[in-house]
Amino acid sequence: MSARRLTRRNLLLGTAALAPLLSRRAWAFGEKSRFIPAVAKHGGRWDGRLSGLRRIAWELQRRTSVEVVPDARPFALSSPDLFEYPFLYFGGDGAFPPLSEAEVANLRRYLTYGGFMLADANDGSDGDGFDASFRREMARVLPQSPLTEVGSGHVVFKSFFLLDAAPGRLLNKPQMLAANLGKRSAVLYSQNDVAGAWSRNETGDFEFDVSPGGEPQRELAVRLGINVCMYALCLDYKDDAVHLPLILNKRR
Amino acid sequence: MNSPTFNAWKLVSLSPLPTWAVVFLALGLLLGVALAAWGVRKEPSRGRRVLLWALRVGAGVAALFFLLEPGIRHLQVARMKNRVAVLVDRSASMDFPSEPGGPTRTAQVARFLEKAAPGLEALQDRFTVELHGFDPELTPVTAASLVKEPPRGGTTDLLSALRSVAGAGQGARKLSGVLLLSDGTDNAELKSGAVGRARAALVDLGVPVSTFTVGQEALKDLSIEALKVDDFAFVRNSLTVEAEIHGRGFRGQEIPVVLRQEGKTVASKTVRLETSDDVKPVSFTFTPDQTGRFVYTVSVPTFPDEAVAENNSRSFTLKVIRDRVRVLLVVGRPSWDERYLRGLLKQDANVDLISFYILRTLSDDPGTNNDRELSLIPFPMEEIFDTKLDTFDVVIFQNFGYTDPSLSIAEYERNLERYIHNGGAFVMLGGDSVLGEGRANMPTLMEALPVVAAGPANPEPFTARLTPEGLRHPVTAIGMGASATEAAWTQLPPIPGANLTRARPGATVLLEHPHLTTDGKNAPLVAVWDYGRGRSLVMATDASWYWAFAAHRDGSPNRAYDRFWGNALRWLVRDPDLTTLKVTADPPAVEPGRPVAVVVQARSADYQPAQDAQVRVELFSVASQKAVAVQTGATGQDGVVRLEFAPPEPGPYKLLATAKKGETELGQGEDAVAVRAVGPELSDASVRPELMEAIAQVTGGKSYKLPQDGLPDVPLLDPPVVEVGRAKDQPLWDRWYYLVALIGLLGAEWFARRRFGYV
Repeated sequence: MSARRLTRRNLLLGTAALAPLLSRRAWAFGEKSRFIPAVAKHGGRWDGRLSGLRRIAWELQRRTSVEVVPDARPFALSSPDLFEYPFLYFGGDGAFPPLSEAEVANLRRYLTYGGFMLADANDGSDGDGFDASFRREMARVLPQSPLTEVGSGHVVFKSFFLLDAAPGRLLNKPQMLAANLGKRSAVLYSQNDVAGAWSRNETGDFEFDVSPGGEPQRELAVRLGINVCMYALCLDYKDDAVHLPLILNKRR
Repeated sequence: MNSPTFNAWKLVSLSPLPTWAVVFLALGLLLGVALAAWGVRKEPSRGRRVLLWALRVGAGVAALFFLLEPGIRHLQVARMKNRVAVLVDRSASMDFPSEPGGPTRTAQVARFLEKAAPGLEALQDRFTVELHGFDPELTPVTAASLVKEPPRGGTTDLLSALRSVAGAGQGARKLSGVLLLSDGTDNAELKSGAVGRARAALVDLGVPVSTFTVGQEALKDLSIEALKVDDFAFVRNSLTVEAEIHGRGFRGQEIPVVLRQEGKTVASKTVRLETSDDVKPVSFTFTPDQTGRFVYTVSVPTFPDEAVAENNSRSFTLKVIRDRVRVLLVVGRPSWDERYLRGLLKQDANVDLISFYILRTLSDDPGTNNDRELSLIPFPMEEIFDTKLDTFDVVIFQNFGYTDPSLSIAEYERNLERYIHNGGAFVMLGGDSVLGEGRANMPTLMEALPVVAAGPANPEPFTARLTPEGLRHPVTAIGMGASATEAAWTQLPPIPGANLTRARPGATVLLEHPHLTTDGKNAPLVAVWDYGRGRSLVMATDASWYWAFAAHRDGSPNRAYDRFWGNALRWLVRDPDLTTLKVTADPPAVEPGRPVAVVVQARSADYQPAQDAQVRVELFSVASQKAVAVQTGATGQDGVVRLEFAPPEPGPYKLLATAKKGETELGQGEDAVAVRAVGPELSDASVRPELMEAIAQVTGGKSYKLPQDGLPDVPLLDPPVVEVGRAKDQPLWDRWYYLVALIGLLGAEWFARRRFGYV
């Protein structure tokens, strides 16, 4: 659902916002070391939030020092090319059929050797729809790493912005779930359609309303998105002792 | 046939009865005497009672006499000639003057022996007098030989000498006494005095040791005593060296004490000696900044009137090793390259990682004006690039380079360059901000790098190619052996883009671009070199993470990336195991007059033992900065050879080794060795009369001080006496008057009893 009307002014602003990403410098050294989210193609509706991913990449470029390519690259989960993109977005609207054995094996290898996956229930489901399918598949991909709630002390809540909760377009669950491999959270899973809050249409308008918090909640969802990207890039950097006193002081 | 001449006699029993029978009869006799006494117990007259008791006892004694059959045994005996040992200390300290300006202690001993010669001669009728020097081995000496041959022993071991001289008489002549002539400066078992086990050992000798203390106590001397330091230390961790300054005759003077590392002053302190014989502890705390083995020297000035100059300095070697590798990772911006390197370094238990990432620059708009909503901290540039820089073993710049005033390190570039030059290790990883790209402008730091920027980056994917140097370099040795390493590199995924650089003269390129060239040479991807005492490495890409992640795309686990970085860190911090030539001084500290030995272990480029390698070792004097000797040899099957140098002058030395197998260089290595100016023997010119007195007291001897005019009356054990001929028994019991006396006593008692009315 569009939040803003498509006007000539909005169109110009939206186009201008992407301009920094098109500068020549950004391409001078190749794009592969930049932040580019890969998107998992599965048997269900997987492509509903591509504009959201472009948007969060743009936000990342604007707000942090991270260099991005404002693109989302869809891949079949069985594709070896996935290994060129350590950040994978796995979203969907509604249930999806089981992954093939090759997809499960490739995704397991991807996550085990350092890949990161952000899963996102675009339908806000809980116990059915995308949620049920995703939990079923995760039990196959990482049977030794069940999804557990991400505690408020997790580094993802302080990797750039200081956050307390993990809202998206919705606020079904205040926190995300994680599948951990050792100390690293290889999978973070939101049931709040976090990419839905980021999505904009071609004219630059937000595609969906955010509830129950409205625009402030959207800003928090964007900040959460940046924190998730930063966590994928920096791991537990913000858990280093040097940051601790300042973060504790700010949280006071 | 001449009758034997008897010169001794003794009283013996000639009774043919067995002992048990004699005892039995004697008991019967006693019983008879007792019964007789019992029978007259009620006699009212005391005089009668005593008379009867005396007569019966007398009769009993007379009967016992007949029972035992006493006799005189005439003997022919001789007295054994035992040994008396005169032990003369031949340790080096006996060459010290006995008094300021006086003769040496040994000369004083020689003079005493000449004066004591008549006294020793007088003992010859009962004893064999032996004269030994000990150093600590026993050798025969004379007064003349003492003067001719100066004492050279490296230690004084009085107990060992006493044991040796006591044991020499086993089965032959026994020892009756020892005359010990020494200054008492024992540095073995009796170092702490005649106490505990050492005291028990002296008692066990079983002979009186009379001691003659040589030398006066009031010498003027300054010495380094009791140096306490561990054999090894951790680099960049503080270390304390404790020394004791012993000064005699320096009351009230302030003495400067200096600690040097191979000629370079590390620390200095001043101690004030309060009394005329004072020992002052002094400790130096310093932080070694480089791994390796080094020679350190603690020294005090030498004054003109000192008894001994050689004990004014003392050297020791210190092996400086690394604890955990402390790595500083400074990242220009978060990227996948940073993410995989961090993941690797964080999981390595041997790495202590400190990271600083630029998460936001001035041009970034975080979307909030309230800093409390951000987790960012200010970049502590001064702290890490100035105050704490030397605490890191390795500094890694990952695509880091800014000209923005708030992020520029221009002010600290010189610090970094000096850090590397002085022994630090530095890694620069490429990217779009450095090595000629983008914003970075660090000319001073670039001086320390093995490459220079040569043009814009090339974004074409390529497979890195191992150079011939890379094939045998430990940094790129990711396989078991050269062929496995080469295969491992060719199997790694292509890298998407590289900075275009050119190797500096002297740099070693390990990996290169297969077709991108600068000045006709392939562009380096990984290059290394030694810069000053430090090392630096450049990787001209920000995409080495492909070796970590994309390498797994085909399913087979690949640890090449981990091994590459593990090797790189070990090489950067000079891990001794990564040298092809391992040089070890054996031992690292050498007593004066001893040869310097070195063990060299040579390995080929694939780290296999290099058999029959030609090894050349140079003994290099740190003090004179000159090579003083060279030894060559060939390694055995295990790639090891042991070489030995003739005893050099005291001082710090380096052992510089090179090895060749055929025409192939196997590398070079070095170690340090300290040749001590003085051993423990010469470190102290004092004498210890109290130890000499204690030895005499414990063993039953007497203690004296030299000079003595002749031999005093020393206690000696008497030699034992032994029968040397046959014996002759002369009975005493078979005389008629003994029988008359017995009968008379018995008769008198019978008469008295009848007279007193008892029968």
